[in-house]
Amino acid sequence: MSERFEPNILGLLCSWCAYTGADTAGVSRAQYPANIRIVRVMCSGRIDPIFVARAFEHGADGVLVAGCHPGDCHYVSGNHFAQDRFATFARILDFFGIDERRFRLDWVSGAEGARFATIVSEMTEELRALGPLKMKVS
Amino acid sequence: MSSLIEQQLRERATALLDAGSIDLFLGYRQGSRALRVAPFAARSSSEAERLVWNAVCVPNLAGALHKYADQRVGIALKMCDARSVIELLRFNQVKRENLHVIGVVCHGMADPELVEVGDETPIAWWDPASERPTVGPERLLEKCASCPKPVPDLYDELLGTVVSAPAAVEDARITDVRKLEAMDAPTRRAFWQAQLSNCTLCYACQTVCPLCFCKRCALSLERDDPRRQARDMGSIFTFHMMRAYHLAERCTGCDECERVCPEDIPLSLITEKLELDRGQQ
Repeated sequence: MSERFEPNILGLLCSWCAYTGADTAGVSRAQYPANIRIVRVMCSGRIDPIFVARAFEHGADGVLVAGCHPGDCHYVSGNHFAQDRFATFARILDFFGIDERRFRLDWVSGAEGARFATIVSEMTEELRALGPLKMKVS
Repeated sequence: MSSLIEQQLRERATALLDAGSIDLFLGYRQGSRALRVAPFAARSSSEAERLVWNAVCVPNLAGALHKYADQRVGIALKMCDARSVIELLRFNQVKRENLHVIGVVCHGMADPELVEVGDETPIAWWDPASERPTVGPERLLEKCASCPKPVPDLYDELLGTVVSAPAAVEDARITDVRKLEAMDAPTRRAFWQAQLSNCTLCYACQTVCPLCFCKRCALSLERDDPRRQARDMGSIFTFHMMRAYHLAERCTGCDECERVCPEDIPLSLITEKLELDRGQQ
């Protein structure tokens, strides 16, 4: 039996929507792969692109940043900042040849447990197909 | 042999310093070798006599401005340097009222790196009639060969005269970026892996950048950091990607980073990419 590649995914989730969404996924017993490791932050606007870059540097194969749907941000406009930032950063990642599927910015509301499960499943499947990032040397 | 601009520059610097309207005048002095100049702050009229203006005035003086914060500075700016100063003004890093800008019409600077070792004849390069280097576009700096504009966007007074520019050359850097964009991701990754494997994380690119003005940088690793000593590829990628991100909306493409890079990594590809992306938005 050949060993299947299991990607490491870092999830940076906003406390108010995406993290609650992940919680809802758990409470409603939605099934999703265990490849994701979640870090809860107060707002997607808190997430500096360096978190993503450092995650890749330290061995993540993919990074998911999720926050409230546009217009629903607990802090009014944090997710708009996140969107602007990561639009720029995603282009830079792509230019350096890091596959755009390795980084995903998405919106998940607190009630969308099933959506969260779908996103994580999709991402895991994609990353399994892509293979390891091999950015980490040691 | 000094050029007309050089004489005018010295005169104006002397006049401004003597009148007390500026504390220092920022220009270039002759460097340790014939084809090198160094940024130089003249604080008196006698020091102003050491100012030079020749065909290899390459360094971006905007990068030296932060050292003289809160002093009244006269500064000689080429078009590309003026763009950096405009960005610094936009980010409130310098005060406009502290600046007296002498714009200098520039038809391109010659690249000292392209001269053969031992060939140190700057005078032959200078064409006093048109005041531009008497070299073909292939011996100008890469950024100068395709530069669209001899006159700075920001100045209080202007020196030099515009002569008809030589036929514009296609910017080779844009072509290279397009080529890179056309590759698929793994090929591009391999390209950067090959280029960046030379990076020693010396941070010269960041030190010289006129628009990297943070007092402390979140990206630079300490000298004894194992990731820096081991030249960890992940850390190198992180540094260059984050540098690109931080410069994304401000980089003016002055190419100082590439010029100072001791490993000749094509950093201008990154800055050019940023500029092209900005144009799309």
